[in-house]
Amino acid sequence: MAPNGVELQQLSGWMVIALLVLFYGGTFIMTLGIGKKKENADGYMTAGNKIGFGISAASMTATWIWASSMYASATSGYTYGISGPIHYGLWGALMILFIYPFGKRIRKVAPRAHTLAEVMYARHGRASQLMLAGSNVVGSLISVTSNFIAGGALIAMLSPFSFQQGILAVAAGTLLYSLWSGFRASVMTDFAQVLAMLGAVVIIIPMVFFAAGGPDMFVQGAPRLTPQQGNFFSSDAFMNQGAPYIAAVLAYAIGNQTIAQRLFAVREDLIKKTFVTATIGYGATIIGIGMLGVMALYVGITPTGGDVNNLIPQMAATYLGPVLLCLFLIMVIGALSSTADADLCALSSIMMADIYGQNVAKRGEANPKTMLLVGRITMVVATGAGLYFASGQMNILDLLVFVGALWGCLVFPVIASFYWSKVTNTAFVAAVSTALAVFIPVRFSWIPVDGLWGLVVDVLSIGGIGVVIGLMCFGFFGGRVARIAGIVSAVVAAPFAFGHLHDYAVLSGSLVAYAVSTGVCFLLSARSKMDFDFSTIKDTVGDFDPTTTAVPDAAATRR
Amino acid sequence: MEPIFLTLYVLIWPVIVAGTLFVITRAFLREWLQARREHRKMV
Repeated sequence: MAPNGVELQQLSGWMVIALLVLFYGGTFIMTLGIGKKKENADGYMTAGNKIGFGISAASMTATWIWASSMYASATSGYTYGISGPIHYGLWGALMILFIYPFGKRIRKVAPRAHTLAEVMYARHGRASQLMLAGSNVVGSLISVTSNFIAGGALIAMLSPFSFQQGILAVAAGTLLYSLWSGFRASVMTDFAQVLAMLGAVVIIIPMVFFAAGGPDMFVQGAPRLTPQQGNFFSSDAFMNQGAPYIAAVLAYAIGNQTIAQRLFAVREDLIKKTFVTATIGYGATIIGIGMLGVMALYVGITPTGGDVNNLIPQMAATYLGPVLLCLFLIMVIGALSSTADADLCALSSIMMADIYGQNVAKRGEANPKTMLLVGRITMVVATGAGLYFASGQMNILDLLVFVGALWGCLVFPVIASFYWSKVTNTAFVAAVSTALAVFIPVRFSWIPVDGLWGLVVDVLSIGGIGVVIGLMCFGFFGGRVARIAGIVSAVVAAPFAFGHLHDYAVLSGSLVAYAVSTGVCFLLSARSKMDFDFSTIKDTVGDFDPTTTAVPDAAATRR
Repeated sequence: MEPIFLTLYVLIWPVIVAGTLFVITRAFLREWLQARREHRKMV
């Protein structure tokens, strides 16, 4: 419901059709410029491993700014007040930054890989590979679904079209330009999409701010905020939003194939520059969009139908005129399409490289033409699945946190596998499986989290705090600093957390996942006699296309 | 919290976004021009 006396703007059906045709038609035409009659399988997955800074920074930024993160940041601002967007956007941005030292290491040991799971195959074997690939399939499907939901909700609110018609339009549009050239089309169109998104943010946020009353809004609306919502250092915001996200940031960064794919695509010397730029771009954009939620709180807007996902479209429809409303529509469509196409590319790469290339085709006989067909079929099937799941309209913020925690089970085993030669396949699989087995009942409170079990969850969660802080420090400062930081943070947190942490199911679920996977992986690896030679990975993970010239040894060894 | 601080807090983000957009666009245009000069596709 809008504030008293303020009408919600809507765009006409023809205007929305024209904008969608303009947007998806334009991106499709862009892809014609780079399209090849005979695409190559390696190009379809990583664009030749040498894209420049402009495209890679735009692509990394566009991929991570998804419509769901815009909606979630605004929800966080509306729910937790002025610090809410920081507790969403800042940690979300840091996830990009934290992966870059790990990214440089991963790229060093596997310079021409296509997926992270493919590298796990070379490092450990099939079970580890399929665990990582499986988690990415689930994560990307959820991501595709949530972006379709965001598009459907937006179109339903701003036009006469229904939610179902909305999700169908964005799904068809995204598939149209991604299908033929895959990752190459995704990164190329990301530039146009980032231009639209960031450009719109620069204009729309100040416009809404002044239309909603400018600085006076903060005087007149202050009584609407609770003390916690008005406090920049709100403990509610930190415990319910920020802390679970800190735990999730590393998991997203390490586990997600859309980031890994861009990591393998960018020129190796541009990794740091790309990731730092994307961190700033993502953080400022998402925190900025979150301010719409804060403003909604100050002016007293109630989300339509009680659904907080309606907040952003509602603010736009309340305070923007028709022209800016069109720009707003393009901004959100750009955000959701850039991430949805990245997820379609991630899914297709996993099916091409991990499932067909290394598990279905006989060793050394993967046919690049068949791989391309597998990739394109995957995109079509994934789009259909996303449409099917989107019809159920799930809660986006809950989905994000759940996937993050799910990937939390994988973080330590994956990182350790790139640095510690003693980690074995058994340690990897046992660590992830055990962590999942403990995480799921804690996260969904299947066992009442009180009494002795509550204390066990608290102890594990405190250990998880140490693991998260330790891993964040490890990438930048090395093992010694990481161990000290991890132990100190766990000791400092213990008096405050013990007896209380299990009350926060989302946070403790994530932390337990980190602690259990780390503990099991460490205990099983410390006693192993394995001394893995990392230099062998680049010889077993390489190009599938015989025409690709670089690193001929890799292709030869694979075959 | 003071309205002036909250105003700055809301409006600083579009300014940072504008700066990032400038950096990305300038790099993209340079790469596009270089690719044209070398008669190759950008990706």
